[in-house]
Amino acid sequence: MQIDTVPSARPNVFKPLLLAMLLVFFVGATGYQAISSGIDYTLVIGVFATRFLGIFVEAAPFLLLGSITAGLIEAFVKADDIWRLAPRNRLAATIMGAFLGLAFPVCECGVVPVTRRLFNKGLPVSVGVAFLLGAPFMNPIVFASTYIAFGFGPVFIGRIVITILVAVTVGLVIGTFARPKAVLKPLAQQQEHAHDHPAPARARDKLLQALQIAADEFFEMGRFLILGSALAALMQTLVPQESLLALGTGSVLSVLFMQVLAYILSVCSTVDSFLALAFVNTFTTGAIVSFLSFGPMVDIKSTLMFSGVFRKRIVLYLILLPFMLNLLAGVLLNLALGY
Amino acid sequence: MTAMSEHQHHSAPPGDRAAWAKTAILLGMGLYFGWLIISGNLNYYINQRFAWLVIVGTVIFVLLALVNLYSSLRRADDCQHQHFDIGWDILFIVAFPLLLALIVPSRSLGIEAINGGISLNPVGIASQASFQRSPLDRNILDWLREFERASAPAVFNGTAADVIGFVYREPTFAEDSFMLSRFTMSCCVADAFPIGMPVSAPGSADYMAGAWLRVRGELAAADFAGDYLPVLFADSLEPIAEPQQPYLYP
Repeated sequence: MQIDTVPSARPNVFKPLLLAMLLVFFVGATGYQAISSGIDYTLVIGVFATRFLGIFVEAAPFLLLGSITAGLIEAFVKADDIWRLAPRNRLAATIMGAFLGLAFPVCECGVVPVTRRLFNKGLPVSVGVAFLLGAPFMNPIVFASTYIAFGFGPVFIGRIVITILVAVTVGLVIGTFARPKAVLKPLAQQQEHAHDHPAPARARDKLLQALQIAADEFFEMGRFLILGSALAALMQTLVPQESLLALGTGSVLSVLFMQVLAYILSVCSTVDSFLALAFVNTFTTGAIVSFLSFGPMVDIKSTLMFSGVFRKRIVLYLILLPFMLNLLAGVLLNLALGY
Repeated sequence: MTAMSEHQHHSAPPGDRAAWAKTAILLGMGLYFGWLIISGNLNYYINQRFAWLVIVGTVIFVLLALVNLYSSLRRADDCQHQHFDIGWDILFIVAFPLLLALIVPSRSLGIEAINGGISLNPVGIASQASFQRSPLDRNILDWLREFERASAPAVFNGTAADVIGFVYREPTFAEDSFMLSRFTMSCCVADAFPIGMPVSAPGSADYMAGAWLRVRGELAAADFAGDYLPVLFADSLEPIAEPQQPYLYP
């Protein structure tokens, strides 16, 4: 495990300089809004604070539940217990891969190290890829948050159907056309997840370890949630509804925009439903569903994590294939719903 | 140790101080969430239906803070389990909501949050109950739903109404008229959406935009900013304080 020469998988975009630039941008943008609309600056900040804290307060409990699950899996579950049940048939196995998240409730942040571990135990590529793309949504916590945000309707059902279809398709394509050696990085180059401790033996220590990992998880993933919520709240505060409507009503453009946004925001799948709510009044349903099904599969932070496991070309495929397929599904959904 | 070497790539604060900062942030979050529930300010941010989620959040935050505290204290005799991987930048970002909550007084979305017009269309799917309310019990959202399913604006002529909301005006409105508005909220303020019903009231120009009013009067179809709509002709306007639950839940 001497991998010191490999650059860290951690995104290095969160440097103080960038943080300062974000703050300057924030003050500048809200200041401009205050001047151009004639509203007192403190009121503009107040509106932003209310919108931002609303998203954060609603989302944080789900992030906490997700973090605790990740901690419990890390401390208690052995990866090789799960896939021993995999069917022999490739299609059936790949479909099972897409559903594996139900047994392994991890969000996209936790899924990469788990997938890597499964690959090391000889899991077929197609199953692993379907798991990688499907698991961030196919888990009880994300079902719950999506249900709370949208109820049982086109968004909820669309999200399930599209996630499974895309995960299985991409899994089969990569599993069929690429040999495992061309897909995965050599073992020695793969990066170990940061929480790789010698496992404590006693249950009480394991529980303590799980909770500690959960706290770390909250900080690791919480920053993406907080930056994402701040961006969404800022947009709602600054961009007039008509401009959003102009972007949000095109049956193709709206989907494209929301997918790019999902990629940039990098918000955890357990909480992205609440962010999507910010766009419900202005964007097409297809765009909302694509945001929700594409976002958990690929985003800035998972791209960085993918590159620790897969070869470069495969990482590119893992971004582009889901992007195109989700775009297609979102546009078709819009056409079906008559946008 | 792989885990250790990987952590040295960026400017991490010394483990001890980072651990204390983490504990403080987790505890602060727990206190903030608990305070939101106790003070009732939670109503400004999320739908009451989901208050239980915030209680769950409070409990988990406090639990994680305690676990963090415990392991910080125990760390002196066990150096192997340190987590150095959290830098000041991450700590700052995660502390940002707390800083904002401390600096900016909590308040509900009001008139300043309307960013490009107000809707005359009701939001969400109406429950049967909202149609069974007697006219005087209907809120703005109930009225908009009635308007939407009515055959013509004139069917409400002579019906009495008693509603509360805040004043919203546009340059196209006649001098004596305004929209009495509320924000609707299904889940949290992210989906908050302003709706309003047209009001005509002589002398209403004295009330500032954003002021909360109780308006009593009778409906009659009339021209309002170029549209033929049911308009509430006010008999009385009464300034009121912002209600405990400022939003309407569709």
